[in-house]
Amino acid sequence: MRRPRFSGFVSIAVLLFLYIPILILIISSFNASRFGGEWEGFSLRWYVRLFQDREIWHAVQNTLIVGVTATVISTVLGSMVAYAIFRFKSYLQKISFLLTYSTLILPEVLMGMSMLLLFMTLFVPLGLTTIIITHTTFCIAYVALVVLARLEHFNIDVIEAAQDVGASLTQVAFKIVIPMLMPAILSGALLAFTISIDDYIITSFVVGPGSSTLPIHIYGMIKFGATPEVNALSTILILITFFLAFFTQSLTKESVV
Amino acid sequence: MRKFLLLSVFLLLTGCDSSTPELHLFGWAEMIDQQTIRRFEQKYQCRVRVDTYDSNETMYAKLRSGGGGYDLIIPTQNYVGIMAQQGLLQEIDQEKLPYLKDLDQSVLTPLSPEILKYSVPFSISYTGLGLRLEKIPDFQNSWEIFQRPNLRKRMTLLNDYREVIGCALITLGYSVNTTSKEEIEKATRLVLEWKKNIAKFENEQYKNGIATGEFLVVQGSSSDILQVVEENPLVSFQIPEEGSVVAYDMFAIPKQAPNPELAYHFLNFLFQPEVAASLMQRTYQLIPNRLAYDHLPEKFRENPGVFPPESVWEKLEPIWDLGENVRLYHEAWDSIKD
Repeated sequence: MRRPRFSGFVSIAVLLFLYIPILILIISSFNASRFGGEWEGFSLRWYVRLFQDREIWHAVQNTLIVGVTATVISTVLGSMVAYAIFRFKSYLQKISFLLTYSTLILPEVLMGMSMLLLFMTLFVPLGLTTIIITHTTFCIAYVALVVLARLEHFNIDVIEAAQDVGASLTQVAFKIVIPMLMPAILSGALLAFTISIDDYIITSFVVGPGSSTLPIHIYGMIKFGATPEVNALSTILILITFFLAFFTQSLTKESVV
Repeated sequence: MRKFLLLSVFLLLTGCDSSTPELHLFGWAEMIDQQTIRRFEQKYQCRVRVDTYDSNETMYAKLRSGGGGYDLIIPTQNYVGIMAQQGLLQEIDQEKLPYLKDLDQSVLTPLSPEILKYSVPFSISYTGLGLRLEKIPDFQNSWEIFQRPNLRKRMTLLNDYREVIGCALITLGYSVNTTSKEEIEKATRLVLEWKKNIAKFENEQYKNGIATGEFLVVQGSSSDILQVVEENPLVSFQIPEEGSVVAYDMFAIPKQAPNPELAYHFLNFLFQPEVAASLMQRTYQLIPNRLAYDHLPEKFRENPGVFPPESVWEKLEPIWDLGENVRLYHEAWDSIKD
């Protein structure tokens, strides 16, 4: 009976290790003291200040515009990529798979730099558009891989059966393939969204005037104090993230069954 | 559902694009408070968009790589020269800034005409020591405090090569902008001795550390430490007797600024005596406007961390760009950090 106790101990230790910093952050967001450390009483003043800080909300708005748009576009494109790679097996698909996959392992700095160079060569002014294009680029890979994993268990006979009874290509796509892949598409989309909203490195290359996203804004804030406000904001973000993660998990659970 | 999504995205995108003129300010976070910005917006019927950066390098890289679209930036004095050389800045039209005649020239002597051609001074801060004097026996106001083994692991230095090596150079009686290999080597040896006694090189957390008493001596900017003093009176700020580094935050207008007129209006607005005075009391930086000094409470006017006495001023030196020679400092810093 000793082993389960030991592994229980390890998992509790690991969980503590992972979550104690987050817990401290949440607690200090309610600390009245500006410089933290000593507890000067429970206070919501940082939350009040946070909600009055227009620049933060502008950054939140930018982040959401970028996140939603990039997610929608990359989900559509990514799912199509996955389906093409799965359905046809020539060398073209192999290359396509390799190219899609490599954006995942490409160093972020390189990705950001090359996007910036592209926009500069084409004289595209930096702003929300450039961030959306860039985020779409790297989100496609995540969506494609998630959908592709689901397709591994996809029974292709279903499609052929439908075609035998006279279903058109559009009908096959909208009545069979998409509904069957929906859980994977949705969890791919959620993954893309979460990656988009917290990307810093790549975004920092292509961000322009008035289009700072939340991670960019927070990084600038940390430099000059105002950290409790960042703590308050992070607490809210953590809650949202937990909710999203929970939602994703329940989706993937469904797909296992 | 999909229609709704598309529509809302469309609305969000178009919502940003209105006909009100916009001023794009690229600066340090927390430098100018929201009330001041809102008052300016009301007066000039415009919208101010603030983007922030964490270091001069970030800002410089952004402008250098072609990221235009900003109307006003806040580089530190040593970056003005570099950026002007690269053709990134417009010349300042002095006629449009009537307040310039009220500037306190006595604190602006280190700024060359070349720099003032491309920028105007905004605020001044000094590198110094944040201290918990109640826990330091026989304190002496000197950079040599970092040599005291009885304060071991309770002190921090900035994580900035020019600031740290610079203060060591000052301690030895040299200039912070020296390009003499020998002098830099001596300073490096001194910093290596200090390194044995400090907890770490730290740019952010030292403020919290000195507030809670985790650290007893920290090297930091006057503006940052005096804001800690405001919350915790046990902390104090001092500029060491040997002298120190002074930093000028400058306003500059990028060459491709879409709306330079509004930038001039903003400067004139910010330098009104009452506005400048209230800003000073928030950030504890010196805004060199003589008329603003009259609006400050006497106690603030006498704060030596904001208005150092003449004898201290003589020993303050700004950091300048050294071109190729900066390599010497990089090498020294590498050997310190190893």
